[in-house]
Amino acid sequence: MIEARHVSKDYGSVVAVRDVSFDVAKGEIVGFLGPNGAGKTTTLRMLAGFLGATSGSVKIHGHDIATESLEARAKLGYMPEAAPLYPELRVREYLAFRAALKRVPGRERKAAVERSLEQAAVKDVAETPIGQLSKGYRQRVALADALVSNPPLLILDEPTAGLDPNQIVEVRKLVRELGQSHTILLSTHILPEVEAVCERALVIAGGGLVAEGTIAELKARKRGRETRVTVRGDAEKLCAALRELAGVKDVRASALAGATDVVELVLETLPDADADTTLERCVAALVAAGAGVRQVSPARASLEAVFAELTQVEAPKEGDA
Amino acid sequence: MSGFAAVYRREMLSLWVTPLAWVLLVVFLLLQGTIFYSIVVHFTSLADLAVETGPIEAYFGQESVFLLMTLLLVCPALTMRTFAEERRSGTIETLLTAPVTPAGIVLGKYLAVLTTYAAMWAPTVLYVVVLRKTGSIDWHTVGSSYLGLLGVGAAYLALGTLMSSMSKSQLIALLLAIFAEFGLFVLGVGEYVFEPGLVHDVCAHLSIGSQMEEMSRGIVDLRRIVFDGSIAITSLFVTSRVVDSWRWG
Repeated sequence: MIEARHVSKDYGSVVAVRDVSFDVAKGEIVGFLGPNGAGKTTTLRMLAGFLGATSGSVKIHGHDIATESLEARAKLGYMPEAAPLYPELRVREYLAFRAALKRVPGRERKAAVERSLEQAAVKDVAETPIGQLSKGYRQRVALADALVSNPPLLILDEPTAGLDPNQIVEVRKLVRELGQSHTILLSTHILPEVEAVCERALVIAGGGLVAEGTIAELKARKRGRETRVTVRGDAEKLCAALRELAGVKDVRASALAGATDVVELVLETLPDADADTTLERCVAALVAAGAGVRQVSPARASLEAVFAELTQVEAPKEGDA
Repeated sequence: MSGFAAVYRREMLSLWVTPLAWVLLVVFLLLQGTIFYSIVVHFTSLADLAVETGPIEAYFGQESVFLLMTLLLVCPALTMRTFAEERRSGTIETLLTAPVTPAGIVLGKYLAVLTTYAAMWAPTVLYVVVLRKTGSIDWHTVGSSYLGLLGVGAAYLALGTLMSSMSKSQLIALLLAIFAEFGLFVLGVGEYVFEPGLVHDVCAHLSIGSQMEEMSRGIVDLRRIVFDGSIAITSLFVTSRVVDSWRWG
């Protein structure tokens, strides 16, 4: 549905997005993840045809956004970040205008407006001037706008920004429902959102793509670096013994509830050390130190930890947009 | 041209549901009414009624400087929001990501303000209708006068639309448009300033005042129409290139 190839955008000497390539297949819900200022909005604007890429190409539904721009734009519904709308128009008037603009044939327009009003749950404010609506409603009107021509692809830039927790839950539910019939690319800097609605995520930092994969794959990137070991013995002594071993970066001990002499050690290996042999040596050292090893398990990384690691390691040096 | 009809309808709706068009209409009609009334009063005080021209010709023709001054206020105010407001509020992003061409957007917006301009002039036909009771009216000169006004409006509004695409601020767009349109007006005044010669002739050709004077006497010179049309088309072409250029900003 989306084929982005080596897409870059620079503003004079400032590089906003550099060499980003990815695919979004039909029917996927993909999260576009990154800290603020990472280049999310710039990239989405290039996909939607609002900005031209300095180099590289974008294809939407097989149409190049630069050379077959009208065909490509007809296949997508784009919701910009701040949900800009005309305050003087009523919701229904606005959607009718957008439907006409997106070439919905005259006799189908009324039905299309009704359908999008229902899908985005804004039917109750259909006759209200947009300027009088709350932020949550405006956001949903913008979503209705993206849906009005029933495009196969939806590109949503921070669809939950500025909403209260209840509204966020509603919008996420809506996105999941829409995902059954549309391909969706949505950007966010909120991690639980990606876990809640997306099947796959693209992580962008400093204008470049730093990771791509399913949520499980992204989490797995962290595995092997941290191991939990439950042991019986003197925590201080065991920690000291482990820290002397090669390949061990750090050891933290935490007491387990309801046990006086059993502790949980979190073992962090150095990124360049072989995690498996280091673990073998650690267990051997623990046994040699007289500890009773009860359980060894890889620590499950949270997406936050992966995100922090990915975006910090690859963070830009020159603080560009 | 894609998107023209939708943009035109939206622009008309937005113009007439907000106070802007109504405020301009009221100010415009008050000014025109005052000007026309003064001219009629002036003619009634003339002893010799056998003069060549009547109040209608004077209003559209040799006294048209008053009428043109009001246009220098009304036209920039009509066009200032066309693009500046879309860019300030960010709606330009939804507009340009819809399957529409820059030419469709520019023409839709331009023809909407031109229609509004024509609608503002429509009530002034009543002046002529009222005066019909006092003497014979030459409807041909009335027609050519309105054609002249349409030409002036077409040029001014296209210039104003271009200026609105130059800034995100409506105020800056307004000032730029006044500057451009006043400049065009002042060029025409050069006809009365310079000695006969090349500069005088150039100014006479560019003079919107002279255009109205000719038109008010029923003289429809194709060169005047071509002049207005060229300003309009050039401005609109540049505007559509400006709109296209935002993609690369």
